Amino acid sequence: MTTHPAREGRRLRGGGPRGGTVVAFLTPFFLPFALFYLVPVGYALWQSFRVIRRTGGQFGHAYTTFGGFDQYAQVFRNSEFGASLGRVALFGIVQVPVMLFVALIMALLLDTPLLRIKSFFRIAAFMPYAVPGVIAAIMWSFLYSPQLSPIVDLLNGIGLRPDFLGPGAVLWSAANISTWLWTGYNMLIMFSALQSIPQELYEAAKIDGASNWAVAWRIKVPIIAPSIILTTVFSIIGTLQLYAEPAVLRQISSNISSTFTPNMLAYAVASGNNYQQAAAISVTIAVITFVLSFGFMKLTAKRAGL
Amino acid sequence: MPAASIWEEDMSIVARRIRLAGAAFTALAGVAALTACSSSSSPGSTSDAASCKPAGGTVTLQYWNTVPGMDQIVALWNQKNPTIKVEIKNVSNDQYGQIGNALKAGTAPELAQVGYDELANLRIQDAFVDASACTDATAAKDKFVPWTWSQTSFGGTGVFAMPQDTGPMALFVRSDIFQKHGVAIPKTWDEYAAAAQKLHAADPNLTITFFDPNNAEWFNGLLWQNSARMYQYADNKWQVTVDSTQSQQVAEYWQKLIAAKLVRTDLANTSPPMYAAYEKNQVATYVGAAWAYGMFRDNLPKQAGEWTIVPMPTWGSNPASGDWGGSTVAFMKGNKHLYESVKFNVWLNSDPEAVALENKQGLYPASLAGLQLPALSAGVPYYDNEKIFDVFADSSKNIDTNFAWGPTQKTVNLALQDAMAKAAAGNGTLRDALKAAQDKALSSMKDQAIPAVAG
Repeated sequence: MTTHPAREGRRLRGGGPRGGTVVAFLTPFFLPFALFYLVPVGYALWQSFRVIRRTGGQFGHAYTTFGGFDQYAQVFRNSEFGASLGRVALFGIVQVPVMLFVALIMALLLDTPLLRIKSFFRIAAFMPYAVPGVIAAIMWSFLYSPQLSPIVDLLNGIGLRPDFLGPGAVLWSAANISTWLWTGYNMLIMFSALQSIPQELYEAAKIDGASNWAVAWRIKVPIIAPSIILTTVFSIIGTLQLYAEPAVLRQISSNISSTFTPNMLAYAVASGNNYQQAAAISVTIAVITFVLSFGFMKLTAKRAGL
Repeated sequence: MPAASIWEEDMSIVARRIRLAGAAFTALAGVAALTACSSSSSPGSTSDAASCKPAGGTVTLQYWNTVPGMDQIVALWNQKNPTIKVEIKNVSNDQYGQIGNALKAGTAPELAQVGYDELANLRIQDAFVDASACTDATAAKDKFVPWTWSQTSFGGTGVFAMPQDTGPMALFVRSDIFQKHGVAIPKTWDEYAAAAQKLHAADPNLTITFFDPNNAEWFNGLLWQNSARMYQYADNKWQVTVDSTQSQQVAEYWQKLIAAKLVRTDLANTSPPMYAAYEKNQVATYVGAAWAYGMFRDNLPKQAGEWTIVPMPTWGSNPASGDWGGSTVAFMKGNKHLYESVKFNVWLNSDPEAVALENKQGLYPASLAGLQLPALSAGVPYYDNEKIFDVFADSSKNIDTNFAWGPTQKTVNLALQDAMAKAAAGNGTLRDALKAAQDKALSSMKDQAIPAVAG
């Protein structure tokens, strides 16, 4: 009996020939992870505590020094940062539920025996995800442009004068692109969860006299709740990092400012050579993302039985 | 560089940015990667005082540029000058990112292409070396159009770059539209506003031009024309005069046109929707620069013969013009072959043979010899065989030599654009936009500890 814990401990420490195998298998992951993830993140963190100083007047020389939380204080003083957060928050509150609801309905439809040629619909719904985000945004920007869009032409023909790129509409035009891009992807995650539900459950429900409707809402949705939560967390992260869609639409609409989303703001500040401030903005975005996504998981974990 | 392909350029920039901007953590990593090589040099270090001695023997110079076809021009040099070998690298994709990274890593080339509006920014990043110890460099002053030299010398005695190409502004006019509606081609901005009214009254789908709120570079050219100086050098500080009386005059003028809907604000310069609007005869003029002459020729071939180019409308009787775009070839920090670099740089940008080859690639020259090129005194078929380059040559000579760009110009331009877009959407005015740009100029310089005062 006394040797048992020791053997257990040895395995945990990973000594012996097995340890070498573990290292060999993990190195290809951990080396790039450290080099291209941990080190840059650490460096950005370090940068965010530096401030620029200068000597020698108008064309003097710059150096950096420790500045404490100066850069962070500035992030929170920056009204553009607050405005950009507000914008993505509004975007997320509307776009994420709409997209996930549509994805869920599509997944449930695909999972019913009612629908024929399933593989076609599955591929068709997933297809937009295969289009790179920038390409999708360029394509949609052509569909929004009053000069080039057949849709706008058509609407003009029936007396409507939509302005997809106007100050009030442009956020939702971007949201539409995101929804188009990501609904199929989210649907597929939910659909694959549905596929793993054992048929016996349905048979039991049928015997108990449950309608298709009841099976969908009372059995399928609760069982795939973890997948729905997963897609929600992905979507929250995606919303906070919103960049491609507004950045592309900005090429044809001046109603998207250079600081439209937090990521665009960070980029604009970095391109102005103020890397320390850009680092502080990035760290702040990362912390907010972390808190929101883990907060949501914590909040829903119990109810979903995770 | 000419901004003729801003659309394509920006798209590639966007694509690259998207790769940078992944999850928030990735964005963080992106910023870190950008800064990864920055060094914090200690206070008091100097990089000025360069000497100018020939190396003796064969030297090799690196020259980073964005000019298509530069290989042919450099091949000509290398053939004529076997002891000063030049190697080139095209940095069209993320020009300033590549230059900035190389500077931080200490691997900058001897010579690099830098736009006029980026010179001040790069100089305060310690990017340049002063070549004024070389007599060939200081003597080159007389070879260039005066305003270009004042840009590369920051109004002083240093020589940090040689001017290469320019974008003197002029008015591109659809003469057929003006003729059709019996409106005379305007010579002053007052006449231009009157013509705007007449054209729009004659055809409600027609506006005289468009105002692109996301194009600060263009608007800055208009400010330049009115002798507005965004910055001035005095007391070893930056005097910020972005929001000057002259600037305000320009802002108020365009604000009136926008408010009266006599110019449209929904077209982005050089975007496909812009060309579509011109193709549909909805826009009658283009307030443009020399490098734009090929834009309409290449994108709207059916409108050949319908375009003419006339001098910029003037403020009163002052024939002053402005510049929009263009670039220089700068002497980069760490350059160990300054003597040879000067020889090549002067040849590259003022030798008639070299300049003629660059002009073939669409560059409008900064050198006086370049303005005399046979190709620039001939008629251009698309423009009804008019000698359009005479207009640009006169324009270039009439550009204010005292205009200066700021060290945080890119940030100021973004702030100006964001505020101009608000004004175009009916939220504030262009006067407010100038105020916002002035404030951003001061605050962005304060953030980087650059000494600045409101002028």
